[in-house]
Amino acid sequence: MLLKIAWKNIWRSKVRSLVVIIAIALGVWAIIFINGLTVGITRAYINNAVNYEISHLQMHHPQYIEESIINYQIREELSDLQEVEGVKAISQRMLANGMISSPKAARGIVVRGIQPAAENAVTHLSDLIIEGEYFGSKARNPIIIGQEIAEKLKIKLRQKVVITFQSKGGDIVAGSFRIIGIYKAKNSQYESMNVFVDQKDLAATNGEKMIHEVAIVVNDINSIDQIQPLIESKYPGTSVRNYKEISPDISLYESQIQVNLIVIIIIIMLALIFGIINTMLMAVLERIKELGMLMAVGMNKLNVFMMIVFETIILGIVGAPLGMLLGKMTISYFETRGIDLSSYSKGMRQFGMSEILYPHLEGNVFIQLAIAVLITAMLASIYPAYKAIKLRPVEAIRSI
Amino acid sequence: MNVIITKGIEKTYNPKTIPVHALQGVDLTIKKGEFTAIVGPSGSGKTTLLNIIGGLDRPTSGYIEVGGKDISKLSDNQLIDFRRENIGFVFQAYNLIPVLTAKENIEFIMLLQGIPKAQRDKRTLELLHAVGLDDKINKRPIELSGGQQQRVAVARALASKPAFILADEPTANLDSLSTVNLLDIMANLNMQEHITFVFSTHDQRVIDRARRVVTLEDGVISSDVYVDQ
Repeated sequence: MLLKIAWKNIWRSKVRSLVVIIAIALGVWAIIFINGLTVGITRAYINNAVNYEISHLQMHHPQYIEESIINYQIREELSDLQEVEGVKAISQRMLANGMISSPKAARGIVVRGIQPAAENAVTHLSDLIIEGEYFGSKARNPIIIGQEIAEKLKIKLRQKVVITFQSKGGDIVAGSFRIIGIYKAKNSQYESMNVFVDQKDLAATNGEKMIHEVAIVVNDINSIDQIQPLIESKYPGTSVRNYKEISPDISLYESQIQVNLIVIIIIIMLALIFGIINTMLMAVLERIKELGMLMAVGMNKLNVFMMIVFETIILGIVGAPLGMLLGKMTISYFETRGIDLSSYSKGMRQFGMSEILYPHLEGNVFIQLAIAVLITAMLASIYPAYKAIKLRPVEAIRSI
Repeated sequence: MNVIITKGIEKTYNPKTIPVHALQGVDLTIKKGEFTAIVGPSGSGKTTLLNIIGGLDRPTSGYIEVGGKDISKLSDNQLIDFRRENIGFVFQAYNLIPVLTAKENIEFIMLLQGIPKAQRDKRTLELLHAVGLDDKINKRPIELSGGQQQRVAVARALASKPAFILADEPTANLDSLSTVNLLDIMANLNMQEHITFVFSTHDQRVIDRARRVVTLEDGVISSDVYVDQ
C-alpha cells in the first residue's frame, strides 16, 4: 500500500514530477555519454599508442633504456621469439639517434632501421602513409618520414635528405636517402621524431647490423602479464617492458581520465540530489496537513519516512531507465559513426588522440549507474522524509 | 465502563513567554456508548481537550486515562500505535488521502493494523454500506461531495474498531442535508453498535442530537448535562 500511495503521490503534480524525471533522465544520459566518450578516448589513446607506436611489449638491452647509445644492442638469438605462445608478431629494429638534413633545414630524429614486412605487421606503418608508398619499390636508400618533419624541413616526396648519426665505432657517419613516403601518425610528437629506413641500408651506413629494440604484439592484450615473464626468462640478458612501463603516461592518462569522470559524475549526482531534495521538500510541505492526518490516525513515523523515500526512489526508477535508454541509443549511434573532432585534430594529435572518437560503453556501467541513482535518490529523500516525520500531527492537521 | 477519564487536566501554551491557559483543571469521565458533545465558544478549550483525549497533544499537568491506559506516559511512537488501535478520528476538513479511493481510504487503517486482505475487504464493504456509500466504493475524494467525504471519514474512523470516535467539528463544512445524514449515521452506529462518539462542536444541530452536552468556558467545564432524547 505504501508503494501504491507513493506511486500515486508522485503523479499528483504531474508537471513537477515530470521535470524531475526528465532531469534524472538527462543526468543519467549525460553520465552515460561522458562515460562512453571517456572509455572511447582512453581506448583510442591506448590503441593508437599500442598499435602504431610502442606495441604490447618491447625488448632492449637493459642499459639502452637508460642511455640510448648505439652500442647497447641486443645480442641474444631471437629467431625463436616468434614461437613463444601468445606472441602474434615481432619487429626487430635498429635504432640510431641522429640528424636529418634537407637543403633548407635540419633537426634531430630517431632513425628506425626496420624490416619492412615485420614492422608493418606490428605497427601498421603502411596504413599511415598519406603520400608516396611503403617500402617495396626498387628505390635506393628509401626513407619514410613524418608529415611534420617534411613541413619543418620544407621537403617533398622523392627529394633527398641526409641522415647523420654516430656509428658503433664512434665516428659520425652519414647517408643520403630518398623520400618514398610521408606518413601521418596518430601522435604528432611521434611523427616529428621518427623516420623509417630499411634495416639493411642503415646497417650499411653504420657498417654493421645491430638490433636495439624488438617490438612484440601479442594475440590478447589481457595475456601480457603472462607472456612478459615468459620472454624475460627466455632472454635473461634483455629488459622486457610492457606498454604501460614503456609509456607511463598511458597509466597516468587512464587514471587521470577516470578521476575526471568520477568528478563529473559526482557533480551531476550532486545537482540531481539538490534538484530532487527541492522537489520532494515541496511535495512534503504542500502535504503537511495530510501527513499530520496520517500520523494522527496511526501511521507510524517509519512508514511516513518510507513513503517519502519510496516516492523519491520511484522518481529515480522512472527517470534512470529513460536516461539509460537515451544514453545507450546515443552511444550506439556514435559508436559506429564516430564523433568527428577533426577541427580540433592538431591539438588532439599532439596528445596522441584520434580525430574521430568512437564512444564505447562497458556493460557494467548500467548496473553501476542503477546503484548510483538508487543511492542518490535515497540520499535525496532523507531530508524531506526527516522533515515529514518531524511534523507534530496536532499542528500539521490545522495547517492551511 | 469508563472509556475516558481525565483528572485535573491543565494545558498552558507558551508557558515561558505569554502563557495561555487553554485548560484549567478539567475532570471528565466518558462511559462506553455515550454520544457526547463538547461545546463552548471559540477559545474555550474544546479542541485542546479533544486533542489531549485523542493523544495528539499532551497536557501540561493532570491525569488522562483512555481505554484503561494512562496515555500521558506513552512516548510519541507509542501514542501513534495507541491512536491507531484505540481511537477513530473525524476531522472538520475530512482529511482523506486524495490519491486513494473511498475503499482504499477506509482500508488504509486496517492495512496499518496488519489485518488480512479478506477481512479488510469484508469490513470495508460493511462500513461503506453503513454510511450509505456502496455505490462510491471506487470514487476518489475529489469525486465525492463534502458530505460523502465526511461519511467516508466516519467509515475510516470506524475501520480500526476503536474504543471511541473523536470528531472535531465534523459538520462545520457541511450543508444542512449532509449534516442531518451524517448525524443519522453516527446516531445509528451509536445506538445499534454502542460506539462511543465525542464531538467538539458549535453546531446546534449536533448539540440537539447529543445525549450529553459538556460545556467548556475559559478552559473549565461550566456545565455537564445528560439529555433525554
